[in-house]
Amino acid sequence: MKRNLVLSAIALASAATMLTAMPAFAQASDKPITVVLAVELDSLDPCDTQPAQNGNIARGNLFESLTHVSPVDGKVEPLLAESWKQTGDLVWEFKLKKGVKFHDGTDFNAAAAAANIMRTQGGENYPGLACLNSGQIPDSVKAEVIDDETLRVTTTVVDPILPLRLSYVDIGDLASQTKPDKVLNPVGTGPYQFVSRKQGESVKLTRFDGYWGKAPQIKDVTYIYRKEPSVRASMVETGEAQIALSIQAQDATDDGRTVTFKDNRIFIMRPSTMKEPFVDPRVRQALSYAVDRDTLVPAILGVTGAPYYQMLGPQVNGYLSGYDDKEAFKYDPAKAKELIAAAKADGHAVETSFDIITRPDILPDGGELVQAIAQNLREVGLNPNIMSMENTAWREFLRQPFPPEEPATLQMISHDNTSGDASFSYPKYITCKGINSAICNPELDKLVADAEVASGDKRAELYQQASSLLLKEAGMIGIAEQIRLIMLAEGVHYQPNPLSGLEIRIADVSLDD
Amino acid sequence: MLAFLGRRLVSGFVTLLGVVVVVFFLSRLTGSPIDLFFPEGAEPEVIEAFNRAYGLDKPVIQQFWLFVSRIAHGDFGMSIWQQRPAMEAALSEMPMTLLLAAIAMAIAIAAALALGSLAAVYRFRTPDRVITILSLMTSSMPHFWFALVGILLFAVQLRILPTSGSNSWQSWILPVATVSIGPIGVLTQVVRGAMIDVLSSGYIRNARARGIAGRRIIYRHALRNAALPIISVAGDIAAGMVNGAVIVSVVFAFPGIGRSIVGAILNRDFPVLEASVVVIGLSVIVLNLLIDIICMIVDPRIRLT
Repeated sequence: MKRNLVLSAIALASAATMLTAMPAFAQASDKPITVVLAVELDSLDPCDTQPAQNGNIARGNLFESLTHVSPVDGKVEPLLAESWKQTGDLVWEFKLKKGVKFHDGTDFNAAAAAANIMRTQGGENYPGLACLNSGQIPDSVKAEVIDDETLRVTTTVVDPILPLRLSYVDIGDLASQTKPDKVLNPVGTGPYQFVSRKQGESVKLTRFDGYWGKAPQIKDVTYIYRKEPSVRASMVETGEAQIALSIQAQDATDDGRTVTFKDNRIFIMRPSTMKEPFVDPRVRQALSYAVDRDTLVPAILGVTGAPYYQMLGPQVNGYLSGYDDKEAFKYDPAKAKELIAAAKADGHAVETSFDIITRPDILPDGGELVQAIAQNLREVGLNPNIMSMENTAWREFLRQPFPPEEPATLQMISHDNTSGDASFSYPKYITCKGINSAICNPELDKLVADAEVASGDKRAELYQQASSLLLKEAGMIGIAEQIRLIMLAEGVHYQPNPLSGLEIRIADVSLDD
Repeated sequence: MLAFLGRRLVSGFVTLLGVVVVVFFLSRLTGSPIDLFFPEGAEPEVIEAFNRAYGLDKPVIQQFWLFVSRIAHGDFGMSIWQQRPAMEAALSEMPMTLLLAAIAMAIAIAAALALGSLAAVYRFRTPDRVITILSLMTSSMPHFWFALVGILLFAVQLRILPTSGSNSWQSWILPVATVSIGPIGVLTQVVRGAMIDVLSSGYIRNARARGIAGRRIIYRHALRNAALPIISVAGDIAAGMVNGAVIVSVVFAFPGIGRSIVGAILNRDFPVLEASVVVIGLSVIVLNLLIDIICMIVDPRIRLT
């Protein structure tokens, strides 16, 4: 049950500010609020809450999970489960909270929890359901009812972080979980219940009076969508909305109404290591030496980014503390040229052109940053072409298999890990069979596989060894740590935390009287 | 007249068929919706079942013939994301687009008639120069830029209009202005040109010589005869208002077919994309037919050509 998360300064700072920012006593308010999001949600099904556009509305508001990651210290905490214990290598038992009701008045119990865990994984009883949360449980598990308040979960492989994985299984009412169709009228146990959804326009929630926990201050919430960041910021300025997400640096205010948070989201370059010019690790290291992060990142990203060198954020257990100061391949164009020349002398086709695969919305002002990076790479003798494409096309380049006839790529990725555990990043991104992996190193595979079944400090140590090897091989090259902005209207209080990229709990928002 | 309309209908049908072919194959070129619909590492059996359900497991040519035979029966299939019939999803957005286009077009025509006539009457004098410069500016102004500047000025600075949405009559003002600003400029130029031609013709000079009042000459005689090119260009502009509707849907989150198309493209919701494009194609064909009929009424000589 012990988690490996590093108690980060950011999280502590968040917590401290949260405590000071919240009014001492928040009275119930009938003032409605409007939250303006960048993208419309895809689904209100409890098994689809992982993408941010769904999670921002549903997680922590409509739905709750058995466990929850603390935004303060990253530890796994009880939520709908009161406690849990591992009773065998593969077997876990969860004691569930009593007296919890769904929005429709039915009781939350082990049957509902088990049904949600099974349905989230899909399988033959749910053809075509395609739950977007299923990726968080890579190896199937079996959930059984012991009694109303006790749930047994049996894994197929040793999984020390099962309680963490179950924080991604949001719980809907039992009736909805017996159906193979997507839920359109969600019923959960959260502090807010579903009122209506107007496709393309809005989702409305209202306070659930039968909520088991502390009643939130705000009664009615409306979520609307505006694609343009400047429009979202303008809506808060004019009072049409009270909270705007994904604000750009140029729209930020300096009066305390624009709040920032880090969610371990890193802007990374991923070279395709099996193709020239990236076959030799020296050329990949040259990529890192060539990019002048200290100049480009502050100049282009402003308050929304900071220079960075690793793949994982500081709160993830694979993060290498002190690496950036001692070992990182920092800007040194002469060294980059030297490495490229050495690789060329050994017969590598370092002049081969390659495509930088990016997309316009990869991060605010990402287009300018990618162009500047390409210029840095040209200056050390590499031959990049920028290919900017929409999300779906970009994703095709991200995922295996990589057609052999296609040229080498340098994929730009904005990767986040809100769980704090590297198992939500490394198996997919750096192992030979990882769907998003462009590197294959048996030593890396072994370290990741060993870490998967380890727990506590040992798990962190193995992931850190994998990080060290990955960075030495320059398989993933960090460029910037992203800092995200939320804009609040006058009199609205919300202190974001490292989970705010995925869930905005309206219960954590308060209004002045 | 019936033969003329029949020919127009046949050419309209052929155009629609072309639209169907283009939209079907171009949408398939963007890739498969699987990348968006399924989580990473989804099981192959699940993906196969999805492909079977939407007919994506068959060769593209076979998919096309199935698609054509289905739409011949009015069946555009189910939306992949909205879980309702694709045609229902497309049609539900159309009334707002038509209303927006109709209001914008009415404003554009009224403004253009007034400004274009004024410019023609005061040809090469100050009013003409001012109107010409303004109309060139508005016709070359990007929709997107105008929309964002409009929000900053009228919503953020002056606080007299909402930034976006469609909940009140005030929220229509900026979208209508965004869609009509370009057409006002273009149509003003067309009206000006047509009116200059007509005002310099013999029968207008004759009317002036007979002492008929200037205003009556313009409204009763000149405008009527200048109407043909104005109607033709206005028809083309109305058909092109879909572009404006797309911008308006993105910037102002204004409901309409533009929003439906943008959403369908981004989500690779092929059935909704196909249904939306066919609805737009049909609207344009019907609109062109109406323009032909109006032109025939205004100028009976057209029936003979």
